[in-house]
Amino acid sequence: MPADATANSAAPPPVAAWRRVRRALAGCPLFVGICIAWLVGTVAVALTVELISPYHYAQIDLRARLQPPVFLGGEWRHFLGTDELGRDVASRLFYSIRMSLLVALLGTAIGAAIGTLLGFVAAHFRGWVDDLVMTFVDFQASMPFMIIALSVLAFFGNSLPLFIALMGLFGWERYTRLVRGMTLSAKEHGYAIAIRQLGASPWRVYGRHILPNIASVLIVNITLNFPEHIILETGLSFLGLGVQPPLTSLGNMVGHGREYLQSAWWIAVFPGLAIVFTTLSMSIVGDWARDRLDPTLR
Amino acid sequence: MLRFLAGKILRALATILFVVTFAFVVLRLSGDPALMMMGPEAPPDAIAAFRAAWGLDQPLWRQYLDYFGAIAQGDLGVSMRDRKPALGLVLERLPITLALMLPALAVKLLVGIPAGIYAALHRDTWIDRTTMAFSVAGYSVPNFVLGLLLVLLFAVNLRWLPSSGAESWRHAILPVIVLGTAGAGILARFTRSTMLEVLGQPYVRTAIAKGVPWYRVVNWHALPNAAIPTVTVVGFMVGSLIAGAVVTESVFAWPGIGRQLVLAVSQRDVAVVQVILLLVAGSMVASNFTVDLLYGWLDPRVRTAPKLEP
Repeated sequence: MPADATANSAAPPPVAAWRRVRRALAGCPLFVGICIAWLVGTVAVALTVELISPYHYAQIDLRARLQPPVFLGGEWRHFLGTDELGRDVASRLFYSIRMSLLVALLGTAIGAAIGTLLGFVAAHFRGWVDDLVMTFVDFQASMPFMIIALSVLAFFGNSLPLFIALMGLFGWERYTRLVRGMTLSAKEHGYAIAIRQLGASPWRVYGRHILPNIASVLIVNITLNFPEHIILETGLSFLGLGVQPPLTSLGNMVGHGREYLQSAWWIAVFPGLAIVFTTLSMSIVGDWARDRLDPTLR
Repeated sequence: MLRFLAGKILRALATILFVVTFAFVVLRLSGDPALMMMGPEAPPDAIAAFRAAWGLDQPLWRQYLDYFGAIAQGDLGVSMRDRKPALGLVLERLPITLALMLPALAVKLLVGIPAGIYAALHRDTWIDRTTMAFSVAGYSVPNFVLGLLLVLLFAVNLRWLPSSGAESWRHAILPVIVLGTAGAGILARFTRSTMLEVLGQPYVRTAIAKGVPWYRVVNWHALPNAAIPTVTVVGFMVGSLIAGAVVTESVFAWPGIGRQLVLAVSQRDVAVVQVILLLVAGSMVASNFTVDLLYGWLDPRVRTAPKLEP
C-alpha cells in the first residue's frame, strides 16, 4: 500500500514532495490536466482578487450600464460587460469566485473534520455510541439536504457564519461511514495492534497511524464532495437564500442576472459557466484521483 | 424475517421521531412564537394570554408532548401569511409538483438505466467514455445553470418554448429536461458500476465458461443482480419526488411545492416550512422502508445473514 510510505516519513523534504506531485501529474490525461489548470486558475484568481480586479465589486457607474462584453462591441475597460447598475461583471465574477470557493472549501473542510471524528468515535467506542452515531448518519443520508438547509434558514434567518456552518453539515455522513468501516478493519491490522500494545493513546493510534493509512480514500471523497458543495452554495445563493448582498457569490450573480437574460445575457452566463467549469473540473479530477488512489477499486 | 421487519419499522419510527424533534427544537430556538405573531409592541398581558392559549406557559416537556399530539391529529399550524391551515396549502400544490416530477422520473429511469447498462457492456470503448462524459456533465452542471442556458437558447433566442409558468404541457418540457438530465447522469453512472461489479463475479464467469449465450448471461445472470443496488438510488429518487425540484421550480416559476418552500423560507412562514419538512421526511421514510423490504425480498442474504461489518 503506497500510503504506508507517507505514514513512515512524516516530513519528507520539499524537493521530494514536488517530485511526487510531478510524478503524479505526469501520467494524467490531457483532459484532466486542463481541468487541474482551470482549478489552479480559479484558486489563483481567488487569492489575488484585489490585484487583478479592475474595479471594486460593488462600484456603481450609472453612465456605463448594461454594456456588452468586448467581443460584442463593448470596451476593454469592462471586458466582460457591466450589469444594470454599471458594475463591472469581470470584477464581480472574480470576487464571486473567491466567495464561492471559500464557502465551499470551509464547508467541505468542516464536514470532513466532523465526519472523520465521528467515524473514529463510532469505531472506537462501539456499542450504543456506535448505534447512536449510525442513526444520525442514516437520518442525514435519508433527508435531501436542500430541505434541511432551507428549514434551518427559515427558522434562524441568514448570516454568513450560520450559512457556512450549515454548509459544513452537508456530506459529513459519508466520511463517518467510510472512516468507521475502514477503522474497524484497520484496528485489526498488525501495525495498529502493535502500536496499541506499545501503550500509545487512542489519539496517537487514530491520528498518527490509522488516519494516514485511510487518507487516500478520504481525499477522494473530499474531491467528490467539493463540487456538491459548490452546487449547494450557488443553488441557495441563486434562490436568494445563501450569501446575502452586498456580498456576492457566483449563485447570486446568476440569480440576479436572470432577470436580464433577454437584454444582457452576459450578467448571468459568465458566472454560470464559471460554476459549470469548476464543478465539472473537480468531478473529473476527483474521478481520476479515485481511480489512482482508491485501493478498493483495484 | 420478523426480526428484520421489526428492525426496519423501528428505524423508520426513529427517523420520524427525529424529524419531529428537530422541527420542535428548531421552532422553539428560533424565537418566541408569541413575539413573532404579535410583534414586539404587543401589551404584556396580551402576550401572556396568547401564551396561555397556545400552551406556551407549560413546561417544555409538556409542550413537546402536545406538539406530538397535534401532529398526530393532523394539526400542523396555520400559515402566517394566508391564515389558512398550512397542510391544506401544501397539499394543494402536490399535484402541480408531481406533474413535473413524475415525467422527470420517467426520463431518469428510461435514459439512465439503459445508458448505464450499455456503457458497462461496452466497457472502455468510445461509447462507454462518451456516455460517462455525458453522465459526469449531467450531474456536475447545476440545475439552475442548465435551466437558464436552455431558457436562453429555446425561449429567448429560438422562441420555441415558453420560459416560465405552468399553463400547458409545453411549459413542462424544459423543467423536465433539466430535472431528468441530472438524475439520468447519476443513475447511468451507478448502473454502470454495479453492472461491472456483477459482470466480474464468479457466477458470471461460470455461466460464460459453461457456454451460456452472452445475451442470456446478461439478461438472466447479470441484470437481476445489478438491479438490487440500483433499487436504493431509485428509492431515494421516488422519496424525494415531493421536494426534489426546489431550484428547478424556481427557475421556471413552476408553482409547485419547491417554489412554495422557497417563498415560505424567505417570508419565514414557519408553519408551511414545517409541513413541507414533515411531508418530505414522511415520504423519504416510506420509500426507504419500501426499499428495505424490497431488498430483503430480492436478496435473501440481507434478511438471513448476521449483520455484516462493512
